[in-house]
Amino acid sequence: MAALLEIRGLSAGLQGRRSVTEVVSNVDLDVQSGEILGVVGESGCGKSTLATAIMRLLVPPQVLQSGTLTMNLKDGSRYELLNLSPRALRELRWRHLSYIPQGSMNSLNPVLRVGRQMTDTLIQHGLSQAEAHERSVAALQLVNLEPRLLDSYPHELSGGMRQRVIIAAAVSMRPALIVADELTTALDVVTQRQILQELTNIRDELGATIILITHDMGVVAQIADRVAVMYAGKIAELGAVNGIFEAPLHPYSQGLIGSIPRESGQRIAGLPGEAPSPWNYPAGCRFHPRCSKVFEPCSEYEPGLRTQGSGRWAACHLYDAEVVSDA
Amino acid sequence: MPDLLLVENLRQIFGGRNQTVAVDDVSFRIPAEPTIVNLVGESGSGKSTIARIILGLLHPTAGRVLYEGADIFTRDRKWQRKFRGEVQAVFQDPYSVYNPVYKAERVLRLVIRKFGLAKSSAEAQTLMEEALRAVDLRPEEVLDRHPHQLSGGQRQRLMLARVYLMRPRLIIADEPVSMIDAGMRASFLNILLDFRDSHGISTLFITHDLSTAMYLGGEIIVLYQGRIMEQGETRGVMQAPQHPYAQLLISSIPTPDPRRRWEEDLSTGPLAEIELSAALERDRCLFADRCPQVMKRCWTARPKLGPIEGEGDDSREVACYLY
Repeated sequence: MAALLEIRGLSAGLQGRRSVTEVVSNVDLDVQSGEILGVVGESGCGKSTLATAIMRLLVPPQVLQSGTLTMNLKDGSRYELLNLSPRALRELRWRHLSYIPQGSMNSLNPVLRVGRQMTDTLIQHGLSQAEAHERSVAALQLVNLEPRLLDSYPHELSGGMRQRVIIAAAVSMRPALIVADELTTALDVVTQRQILQELTNIRDELGATIILITHDMGVVAQIADRVAVMYAGKIAELGAVNGIFEAPLHPYSQGLIGSIPRESGQRIAGLPGEAPSPWNYPAGCRFHPRCSKVFEPCSEYEPGLRTQGSGRWAACHLYDAEVVSDA
Repeated sequence: MPDLLLVENLRQIFGGRNQTVAVDDVSFRIPAEPTIVNLVGESGSGKSTIARIILGLLHPTAGRVLYEGADIFTRDRKWQRKFRGEVQAVFQDPYSVYNPVYKAERVLRLVIRKFGLAKSSAEAQTLMEEALRAVDLRPEEVLDRHPHQLSGGQRQRLMLARVYLMRPRLIIADEPVSMIDAGMRASFLNILLDFRDSHGISTLFITHDLSTAMYLGGEIIVLYQGRIMEQGETRGVMQAPQHPYAQLLISSIPTPDPRRRWEEDLSTGPLAEIELSAALERDRCLFADRCPQVMKRCWTARPKLGPIEGEGDDSREVACYLY
């Protein structure tokens, strides 16, 4: 079966006066139907740019440079997201493709009741008032909120409840794909845990596919099925969550997982250095100046994302078959 | 020897008609010997208010803050000046604390001049370089830069370099790592551990992130709605929390191990009911409405913070009727 979303050669950048600075470079990724895919990396690694590019919501100076995005829905229909007209795209968003941007819990209109804000979109998409109300109630129940909250104003709700309203709105059309950017970052751990569990329920009940963008490795370990580790605009490693956490292949993934505090009194080194900005991505492997296992080819040419067996992919010269056989 | 810092029955009430009790009778101590004390709680638990009171930025509604036995709000200017040198703050946002037109060098030089730390320009240079090395920054890489040319992690460590110049006895760090990346976070926390071990500097570390508190070790104070629910040695509390709130909080940390996932479903029933009626009576256990082990008396009087037996940790105290 074809993947729900096929990303091929996707590059997006920032338009300067004379040239475009590439932020996300040549990303190939298949998002499987029904999975929760965690996308992790340090700030500035291109996670959010990738998300907005998938949603076709890049705003100038951000520009899409190349690539294709193909969405294969269960009913057999197929959409080339990058070729759609704005109108067709609007139709597709929310109905099949939902986006929860970073900080969106603060994006509710303060002077409109929650119910109005939820039903407006549904009515836009062709539902009647009564159907829209019914859908909104059902969506609120998915995130453990009472239907009577439809009558409240955003300021009457706590942060966790506002975030739930946003999630409910995003899933009210039962989309096939939900892209959530730093969904629980501003929330306390107890609320975070509840919301992540609700997200898992949404996947189970609606059969939705979720791309979860986060910097928190703990969140990914708790709910993701697969993990894509991004570094400097590229995918460094991709694979099932258990494998990545137990035996990360890419030195960057190793550093990321190694810098999680686990126990008192056991010092960890962290990752030395800083992630490069798109204006000075190093030549060769973009991670090589910080890498503890750097060797000859790393500064010369970029490693491609290669399969390492059992669904794992890594972009690192350590795992290049040719280099090993040369040595 | 008096405690380095003693907070006694601190209360802070905000607002006129709709009063908010931000801090509700909180007492704790930071001993004279170098220690790290973690103050943890959700947003709105009063932890930043406590920090602002200790720094002297806010007068409490009631209660006292004693620094080396002296009340920080009643001393003269000369004493206050000494206090400001010995107790240093590191705040959450490394982007907003700097004057954008000052280079890093000026940030440090100002401190040296204001507090008369060096006699000559050359000596000042040596001091600055030493301070930067103490926080893992390379002087040649940062001194000549403006704040916007530094990363979040570098800015936050520059703040520590500034603190280091002062050789304070206590650092009040309010969510210092919540805006920097995981890789950098460990190095920042290691600096605080080094400050304690090699320079005798204590830290009051305020955070909502329990995994960083666990890493730092020392003591921990768990706040909930302005009250202390549990306190004790960090390691013991993290391994075997006693208060039902501390248990809920600690079990909700997303463990970075996909083989140890949350099992029971935490989705609560009438969530709206609880959060909408926040202004209930405070003469009770404030966690009663969320507590799985709630009893009748939890609703009628506030449980006192007291020691519990059999935990092998003399400092452990819990405010719960179960004990």
